[in-house]
Order: sequence, then C-alpha cells, then structure tokens
Amino acid sequence: MGLSELEDSLDARLLLFMEQLELLEEKRSTLNSLIEQGWFSMSKARYSMGNKQVSALQYASEIEPLVCVHARTLGSGDVEFCTERVAQSKESGKDVSSIEDIGPQEEGVRRRNKPKNVTPEKEANDEASSEKAPDVTPVRKSDQNPQQDPLKWFGILVPQSLKQAQSSFKQVIELSAEIAALQTTVLNTRQELKKSMKDKHFLRKETSAAQADEAAE
Amino acid sequence: MAGRGKLIAVIGDEDTCTGFLLGGIGELNKNRKPNFLVVEKDTSITEIEETFKSFLARNDIGIILINQFIAEMIRHAIDGHMQSIPAVLEIPSKEHPYDASKDSILRRAKGMFSADDFR
Repeated sequence: MGLSELEDSLDARLLLFMEQLELLEEKRSTLNSLIEQGWFSMSKARYSMGNKQVSALQYASEIEPLVCVHARTLGSGDVEFCTERVAQSKESGKDVSSIEDIGPQEEGVRRRNKPKNVTPEKEANDEASSEKAPDVTPVRKSDQNPQQDPLKWFGILVPQSLKQAQSSFKQVIELSAEIAALQTTVLNTRQELKKSMKDKHFLRKETSAAQADEAAE
Repeated sequence: MAGRGKLIAVIGDEDTCTGFLLGGIGELNKNRKPNFLVVEKDTSITEIEETFKSFLARNDIGIILINQFIAEMIRHAIDGHMQSIPAVLEIPSKEHPYDASKDSILRRAKGMFSADDFR
C-alpha cells in the first residue's frame, strides 16, 4: 500500500473513531440520566415506605437472574452484547392463594389429653368447617419462588415510584449492553489506528531515505 | 446466540445494587457465589479487589458494572484488565458523578494522540 493510500485509510479510520467516541459519549450521558432517574424514584419510594423498607435488608434469600447477556465475538475482533430477559414463571395465582407462614413450624406439637368422648356432631361440624375454608396451602418463606419479580421483595402493594425505578434500571441494563459493545469497538479501532500510524511512519522514513539517496546521486 | 447467557455483575453502593437487582440481574443461592457486592463504609479495598478478580475469573459473567468511586480504589486492577469479556462499565454513584477523565476505557482511547501523529 502506498503512502497516500495509507494516509487516506488513516483519515477514514480516524473519522470513524471520532464518530464512535461521540456515540459512546451520547449513550453514556443517557445511561447516567437514567440511573439518576432510577435513584430519584427509589428515594421517593423510600420516603413513602420508610427508610429500611427499600434497602438491602429486603433482598430475598434466593434470587435467580431474570436477565442475561449474550456475548458474541465477531470476525473483526469486536464483541456484540445482547440482553435477554427470561420469562417469569406464572405462579402469581399460587402466590395469591398461599399464606406465607413465618416462624417455627409446630410439627412436633400435638394435642395431649385427647378427650375420649368426641361427639359425632362436633366431628361433622369440624369436617364441614374444613370443607368451607378455602384451599390455602401454608408456604414457608424458603419456598418463595426465586424467579419472582424483585418488586415483591418490598411488599405486595408497592408505590408507583418503585415501579418507575425498576423500569429505569431495566432500561439501564439494556443500554449497558450497547455501551459495552461500543467500548470494545472503540478500543479495537484505536488499536488499528495505532498500527496504521506506525506503518505510516515506517513508510515515510523509507520514502525520505529513498529520496535522499536519489538526491545524493 | 445459543446456550445459556452470561450474567451481569455489579459492585456498588446499596442504592446501586438495589436498583440493578430490581432490574433483575441478581443471582443468589447456596450453590454459587452472588454476582453482586454491596460496598459499605466498612468494606475493605482487599475485599472489593478480590470480588472484582473473582468476577473476572468466572466464565459466566459478561458485564461488570462498578461505581466509579469504587473503581478508583482498585484502578490498578481495572487498568490491568485487557480482555473484551467481561466488559467493565464504570457508572456514577449518588455522591460521585461520572467523570470521563477517570474512565479506564476512555483514558486508553484518548491517550494515543500526540502532536507527532498529526504530521
């Protein structure tokens, strides 16, 4: 490749690098604004729910990720990041009909001194009441679905501001994947530019040495 | 893009971690170490650095989000990370806004230019 061709290629690559940097800066600015928006919504939720109600104390004991990222290395050395949100298991109906049973399970406790004379009417009444009671299954806290919506850690009824915070952070996660990809692209372009500049300096030295030889002759 | 995806890890203050966990990135169970670290006032720099290095060593983490003021504490470890995966993203915190001049990636990108390069 001749010197002028190399210089043209270098100019094009430099312009591309500047464009990528500008795009990266724009996305970063959007990311930072979204994060700040999320914090602001969280602060509003904390104000209405209480300081400790929106904190690390509310995290579940078992959590499964609801979003993952797929990373793919392209031929040019760039890396493509793509987020994928896992569909949550539809167990909301089960959650509503189950009562959370917190505290020691009284499995070992049994009725002592069982009365011998149990009237059949009383037994029938007991059976009837058990039939009338809704089919409720007591659930221990450890049986909570680890794939549940994290909003549920903070209570059944959460303020709208907490939902807004969640929505902001979901957008931040999507944008993070784009920025991660852009960062690797920017660094790769930088490496290519560095290599091209070295080639250009080398070629220029060779050209000036050849010209000096010609002038000497 | 077949196969199970990678996780997004986060090293940040309580609000940052709570926000991202709300977004659904968290993983916490008995079998594996969590993919997040809540940095508090008494969290040592050693612990932060060890957690960061453990995230780098895991092959199931694609992106690491870290508050920039925490990244400053372990700057040498972040500057030493040259691979594309996992990608490291520095994010602002409530008390420390984002400063582009401190970002490792941007410093690497901008540091290449000198007066000789434009001759």
